[in-house]
Amino acid sequence: MTHSSQMPVEDPAWQFDDSGTPLERSPSLLGDAAVRESTTGPDLSEIRQQVETLEREIAGLKELSMAFERWHDDMINLTAQTRDMNARGDDLAMIARHMVMVSINAAIEAARAGDIARGFVVVAAEVKSQAQSVQTLSAEMGKTLHKSELMTTTTFQDIQAGGKMMMAAISGLERMVKNLHSAVGA
Amino acid sequence: MISDASQRNIEIAFHRAIKDHFVLDANDKFEIEEDRNGLEHRIAGEKLFVITISSFAFRLLTIFKIIDDPHSRDYYLRSNSAQSLDEALAEAANMCSGALNRELSAHFPHLAMSTPSPLTHRCIAFLNELRPARLASYRVTIQESVRFYATLCLCCSAPIEVAAPTSEQDAAVEGALEMF
Repeated sequence: MTHSSQMPVEDPAWQFDDSGTPLERSPSLLGDAAVRESTTGPDLSEIRQQVETLEREIAGLKELSMAFERWHDDMINLTAQTRDMNARGDDLAMIARHMVMVSINAAIEAARAGDIARGFVVVAAEVKSQAQSVQTLSAEMGKTLHKSELMTTTTFQDIQAGGKMMMAAISGLERMVKNLHSAVGA
Repeated sequence: MISDASQRNIEIAFHRAIKDHFVLDANDKFEIEEDRNGLEHRIAGEKLFVITISSFAFRLLTIFKIIDDPHSRDYYLRSNSAQSLDEALAEAANMCSGALNRELSAHFPHLAMSTPSPLTHRCIAFLNELRPARLASYRVTIQESVRFYATLCLCCSAPIEVAAPTSEQDAAVEGALEMF
């Protein structure tokens, strides 16, 4: 498999083996020339300071995990709410179907009763019309809710996976800076 | 967004992951074939769940429709009666998607996988709302009786290319798939 042309090209200096040791010892983060110069003298302290700054920044970035956990909890609540709304939508659809059936029965009974129930025929027809409107509305709402469930679930999963991806990238950076730290003796 | 060859390479990796994690005995008969309507048709006892593999340029949904019937129960619960069928198959699906994730992560440096989530059947009608670059469903049959459906839904935000897998097993697995 290959990278996409759109994917970031991996810099060898950012690659590590399983133990976290850089595969390339040249830390291009600070520049080869800077490191060569630093090992001979006056700029070493500046590089150490930069490494320490990087370490602090990375430690700060790791706190992103708290935001991911918050999003995770919020998305779980949102997903549960969507499913609850779906269940209520199903209940509403059932009530609407029942109302249509009742109105049809009412119309039949009114017809049987003859002229004396002529007014009731009109009422039953109106109830049926309203029940059918509710049924149509309920079906449309059901579609919206199920689409919402899919979108919510897949977005939740994308955020969850994205969070893991970012935390893994930060851990990779942390290992790299730790190795840099050792290399410059900070 | 993705070439036919790249789609095929992802599918080969997915098929292999399914075979490796849903078939309990290597000697069991395994069949997998594309079934365009497999996901849409409602089946008694069906349960759906989804797992997402995400990277910068794409997200890949793996959707499993398992069927709670005596065939599946006999096959998956014979060695562990303490486990429910849902648990057994969710675990297999998780392992399967994990294997696909590993296959892809060897080449896409930044990649991660979600935990499984349940889906209701009526959500499936809206998969095209995710504007997938590729949507493919497969019917899987094991020992001619156990049946479930697996779907790949690939959504790309940039072009991606996936070259052929290089492991030694590929030729054999692909050959087996072509037979069915």
